[in-house]
Amino acid sequence: MLGYICKYAPVEVFESMGVEMKRIEPDVTNFNQAEIRMHPNICSFAKGVLEEVMRGGYEGVILTTCCDSIRRLYDVLKEEFPGAFIYMLDTPRITKDAGVTLYAQRIREMAQAYEKFSGKTFDERKFLKHLKGKQEEQQYAVKSSALNIGILGARANESIKQILQERGANVAFDLTCTGLGRKVLIDEEEVMEGYARGLLSQFPCMRMEQASNRDELIRRFSESVDGIIYHTVQFCDNYAYEYAWLKDWLKRPILLLETDYTRQSGGQVRTRIEAFLESLSAGRQPQKVYRKGDGQMYVMGIDSGSTSTNAVIMDENRKIKAFSVVRTGAKSGVSADRALQEVLEKVGLTREEIAWIVSTGYGRVSISFADENVTEISCHGKGAHYFNPSIRTILDIGGQDSKAIRLNENGEVKDFVMNDKCAAGTGRFLEMIARTLEVSLDELGAIALTSKEKIEITSMCSVFAESEVISLIANNKEKADIADGVCRAIANKASGLLRRVGMEPEFMMTGGVAKNPGVVRAVEEKIGAKLYICEEPEIVGAAGAALDALEKMGRLS
Amino acid sequence: MWIADKYIDYVKEQTIAHPGESWDKMLLGFQANKLRTKLLPKKGISKGYQKLEAMMMSFVADSLSHPDSYVWGNIFTPCEIISCFGLHTLSVECLSCYFSGYHLEDFFIDYAQNTGIAPTLCSYHKTFVGAIDSGAVPVPQYAVTTSLSCDGNLNTFRYLEKRKGVPFTFLDIPYRDDEASVDYLADQLRTFVQKFENLTGKRFDEEKLRNAIRIENETRKELVRFFKLQSEHYYPGELISHLYMMMGMHLLIGTQEFLDLIRFMIRDIENYPKFEGKKILWIHLLPFYQETLQSYFNASRKYQIIASDIILDSMEEMDEERPFHALAKKIIRNMYNGSYSHKADMVAELAESLKPDAVIQFCHWGCKQSSGGSILLKEKMKDMQIPMLILDGDGIDRRNSHDGQIRTRLEAFLEMLDEDSKEEAAEKEEKRVC
Repeated sequence: MLGYICKYAPVEVFESMGVEMKRIEPDVTNFNQAEIRMHPNICSFAKGVLEEVMRGGYEGVILTTCCDSIRRLYDVLKEEFPGAFIYMLDTPRITKDAGVTLYAQRIREMAQAYEKFSGKTFDERKFLKHLKGKQEEQQYAVKSSALNIGILGARANESIKQILQERGANVAFDLTCTGLGRKVLIDEEEVMEGYARGLLSQFPCMRMEQASNRDELIRRFSESVDGIIYHTVQFCDNYAYEYAWLKDWLKRPILLLETDYTRQSGGQVRTRIEAFLESLSAGRQPQKVYRKGDGQMYVMGIDSGSTSTNAVIMDENRKIKAFSVVRTGAKSGVSADRALQEVLEKVGLTREEIAWIVSTGYGRVSISFADENVTEISCHGKGAHYFNPSIRTILDIGGQDSKAIRLNENGEVKDFVMNDKCAAGTGRFLEMIARTLEVSLDELGAIALTSKEKIEITSMCSVFAESEVISLIANNKEKADIADGVCRAIANKASGLLRRVGMEPEFMMTGGVAKNPGVVRAVEEKIGAKLYICEEPEIVGAAGAALDALEKMGRLS
Repeated sequence: MWIADKYIDYVKEQTIAHPGESWDKMLLGFQANKLRTKLLPKKGISKGYQKLEAMMMSFVADSLSHPDSYVWGNIFTPCEIISCFGLHTLSVECLSCYFSGYHLEDFFIDYAQNTGIAPTLCSYHKTFVGAIDSGAVPVPQYAVTTSLSCDGNLNTFRYLEKRKGVPFTFLDIPYRDDEASVDYLADQLRTFVQKFENLTGKRFDEEKLRNAIRIENETRKELVRFFKLQSEHYYPGELISHLYMMMGMHLLIGTQEFLDLIRFMIRDIENYPKFEGKKILWIHLLPFYQETLQSYFNASRKYQIIASDIILDSMEEMDEERPFHALAKKIIRNMYNGSYSHKADMVAELAESLKPDAVIQFCHWGCKQSSGGSILLKEKMKDMQIPMLILDGDGIDRRNSHDGQIRTRLEAFLEMLDEDSKEEAAEKEEKRVC
């Protein structure tokens, strides 16, 4: 069995020689092997392929000169598996005649090399017959009964499509690396040249010179769908250029989704996709009508975050009756039970007297007593609109992620960006620094306000920033000045997120960090605008979840 | 604060507040710096490196002052052809370094990232994209790029063509080193020349190109001679001197002016004393701003960078009779093209001839093609018994280079080298006594 990764790989040449060809789709949990053999900053897909090949079972791998990371992957595989057929196929980026001629020649040379390696023979007549026998592969199609989503960008693994299917969305097209079905071109006169021409004239990827055609093709494809998922792979930079360009003119909602090809990122990927689907279907969700008892109706929203679990009980007049905020322990389910008990006690109700419970936040799926779950993105939107209807942009800095959300005048989410891959710019980062400075988290914000000297914390990464803070302590810098520097570092990150989402006033800050006056001041200075902060910034998400529950009850229009 | 620093801060503030309105001020600074390097060259570094700095300052300041005088490129763009049309080539890498002279790299990088450009992309490209996209820096009429040595080249220029309307020629550099590849690239070069004739309205004179290739062959030979001398003599320079040399070897190669400079340096270096310290062969980019590295390598009698692979990335004797083939072959056989073992072999060849005491590779943030092979190169150097250090950081964005980490790794490595020589000396002494 030979592995391959790229749509330009001449798979049919090998198939005609009786070789089983497998498209490598890494499904790994870590990069243990890759970290030893490659530099950590190599594209996650390339690292995933290395892990997958190291597991064994491949007679060889066919790579193309598609990008820098794959070029280096070849070097490492060649070194690791000297006895295997590790072949680098030099693939032209030019699709004109010169490119076609060169590619045909390169494919022939590869076939010869494989003949030598395997003892098999390549027969052009057999190859032609094989091509003729190929069925055209099924392409995707639009379905009128579902939300239609198109996938663009760098190669996307199956999990994205699975999540979409689970949520009832239809994948109308997948224009990523190997997403489209193969189409072969048959030229009986010049079999190999015709075949090479066919390969090079597929929907162009970003490495191809003619990739500018992509704009027109993407525009046409996009007209048929409700939204686009633009997928990028961590440390693969090529597609971000296209995202940066087309987000300004493609008239469809776009979700930028970065994955690192490991299973670990599954939860975050799910949150983003679900929130995106919710934002697309807002306003046209069928409304359930359900009411318990004859008296006042109560609903609950519960937000299970990494730092705190917050619950809100609301009546049918959208009035908050009680709320609770408890620290999230090692098990989110246990903390949720505690938050539930606390809030029920405050208002003197039992679980049975709550008509509908909506959970949100990272732990939303682990809350067994909730009737349904909704992502925190939608809930923050609803919550913010509830507290202050003039809010258009929300900055939410939570324990393990930070996000910026843009709303329309109805409080519906129009766009959002998240930072959750790294701890920089999150509540965790503040906690870490507070520990290093030997102050409590509450003190950190307060002392920042008393700062006299401006210190720049320049490191972008929280690990580096911590060492930087340690160096500052070693240099006898004042705690207040360091704290202020840290707050401003967070503000810089936050301002980047806000800019990406659009900077439309008014602004609101939610999440635990909104209680930190140092960060609030730094963000306000950075963006040049006031932040609206409600009395309990931690319960905005839970309030939004309660509002969502009320909507489901059909009490709100 | 020195007046130049004040001016730098002022220009930075103005650019951030109103990108697009401060270009004249940036240009004025470049011109002033050009004069400074001519009239008041940096003290403490050799005359050769002073002259090199002055030459590169004039080259960039003069080109930028005349927007019709240059095209954008990268360091592998065949500047020999472009200069036959009387034009200069200013590369992404070179321009980004100059913008960082105003400490604007962070603003430009953030600008690019906020529009959606990947944070993991090479910082040179991000700086360049941010500078252009923000409107802070005006654009030329044309650009020429190659697929060598990284993915960013095609994508950056394509992005800026769409955003800013700068048309470009893309040269596809094949991976394989054989006749078919050379023909394929040589044809592209010929087509490019025709296109450029139409674009500029000037006729191409092949004799000019032959002459440039003759000079280029001579320059490369002289450079090898200079490197050998630099491994024997103390010749004070700075980290940035090696970057200037890299720019010269890629953007001014084939010009008499640059050949004359190398010849001057060969004469000049003979006046300097024998170098007794550790000789370092540097791999890939140099973070010219990095304080710890500056403190160890700038005009140091203990540790001298004697050569770098980015300066001498091609060792090809070019055939002036077939200039297009010669250029194609040079680019295809470049150390940065093809497999990493090709690169490792060329580095080994360089090490064989210059006999460095150690190799340091700087893994620049975002540079997959270079970082990705660093572990393989280390193994190759191990076989040759040359100690090698891999440093991680960023060639331009100060925020991605952590001084504490660089300092610890570098100092431990240098301590190790010094320890080795003590042991060697002790062994010799022991043998002598025996």
